[in-house]
Amino acid sequence: MFAKEWRSEIRTRYALNTLALFAVNTLVVVSASLGPLGAAPGRSSETLPVLLWLILLFAAAAGLPRSFVHEEETQTATALRLAATPSALFCGKLAYALTLLAALEALVAPLFLAVMNLDVARPGLLIATLAAGGFGLAAGSTLVAAIIAQARGKGTLFAVLSFPVLLPLLLLAVELTRSAFAGGGPPGQGGQGGQGEAGVALMQLLLYDGAVTTAGLMLFPVVWNP
Amino acid sequence: MKKRTAVAASWLLWLWLAAVIVGAFEYAPLAAKFIGQSSRILFFHVPMAWAAFTAFITAGVYSVRYLFGGRSQGSPRDPRHDRAARAAIELGLLFGLLATVTGAVWSRIMWGAYWNWDPRQTSIVMALIFNGAYLALRDAVEDAEKRARLAAAYAALGLVVTPFFFFVVPRITFSLHPEPVINARGRVEMDPRMLQVLLASGAGFMALFFWLHDLRTRVLAVADRVLEAAAAGAPSASSARATGTSAPHLGEPRTGADPATASQRTSN
Repeated sequence: MFAKEWRSEIRTRYALNTLALFAVNTLVVVSASLGPLGAAPGRSSETLPVLLWLILLFAAAAGLPRSFVHEEETQTATALRLAATPSALFCGKLAYALTLLAALEALVAPLFLAVMNLDVARPGLLIATLAAGGFGLAAGSTLVAAIIAQARGKGTLFAVLSFPVLLPLLLLAVELTRSAFAGGGPPGQGGQGGQGEAGVALMQLLLYDGAVTTAGLMLFPVVWNP
Repeated sequence: MKKRTAVAASWLLWLWLAAVIVGAFEYAPLAAKFIGQSSRILFFHVPMAWAAFTAFITAGVYSVRYLFGGRSQGSPRDPRHDRAARAAIELGLLFGLLATVTGAVWSRIMWGAYWNWDPRQTSIVMALIFNGAYLALRDAVEDAEKRARLAAAYAALGLVVTPFFFFVVPRITFSLHPEPVINARGRVEMDPRMLQVLLASGAGFMALFFWLHDLRTRVLAVADRVLEAAAAGAPSASSARATGTSAPHLGEPRTGADPATASQRTSN
């Protein structure tokens, strides 16, 4: 399923191009409107994580629903229903969304850091956050995409439906990215407090990932099969 | 006989709520540290929030039951659960809006601003957006069975996601908020008379919610029956409209739009 998804993706290159272009465009807009100096010093580690995750969220919202909408539009959905079990299908779509998002993050995050003149205090935490956040983003939007593919007004509906589902994820990811940029805690105290806080947040993020994936695996069969 | 009991119970509920109103203004004392009479709004605001929360849970539970629970004859799922979930979402939106507005008014008096992303404000806004999204999703699906299925899946997903707000939001906003803002809510030492009124009001609002929920679910059931009759018996829209007007006691604006939907369904 995963292989099929990528084959058709490579043939059209629709999602990949749109996503990459969209993300880079947004990045340019954000960076250009902040000016050559980036955000005001001192405030930058507060505001920039928000911008980074908003770019990722909107890029995902632009590209990911495509994977299910396309099946319904070309009427290949019925063939898929016959050919694959729902859980295999869900895992395949999820893996596809995951790799797509990972590629997107690999493109956007370094660019973002370079453009914004940011120093990352804890690169390991940033990578962990990007990985876990990307996973949650992929899992949540795959299920929502499956839901909206069968409804009218797909694009707008995806944004409306996914926002409340993805908001806890965004809050957590922004918080974690913030502490990755700023480093843990005030200097001189060994950053112990900040590290504990970040550890809790990372745990919660992973919990969210697990919960949404489980919910996806349970709910997807009823969404998919009439 | 059953009907008479129901009527008596609804009158009892109205009397109870009227007593709560009187109690809130005449019986309960003013809370210390609250500006002016502002503490009295809490007797209504807090129970509304409870009712909205109950509505949210109710909708989630009925959605899960719809998807994985009981079966009715002929169909793999029971449409009664779907109607109950939808009614709960609508009422949750209503109570949630009321709680938000009363809360904002109180917040303006006590904290100086209508809105300041207090953890509870954040979670109620998310609940409102969620309820709105649920209804938007319902509007966007034509087929009745599919609509119920997708909406129920979405509500179940919401039930999975919401607990995170309770863990995440307070932890994050606590670091942003100054101490006193949070402490203004912490009225642990409550006057016993205030507590009595608050609990009575809570019980009243809870009963009000379940009563309205029952009414709304039954209205939706009647509307569905009208639709079914129109789809089965009448191929044209005009006769569907005739069926619709034969139940004038519905008093629902939604039934006015039904003939159009009915004709779409028959044409499919």
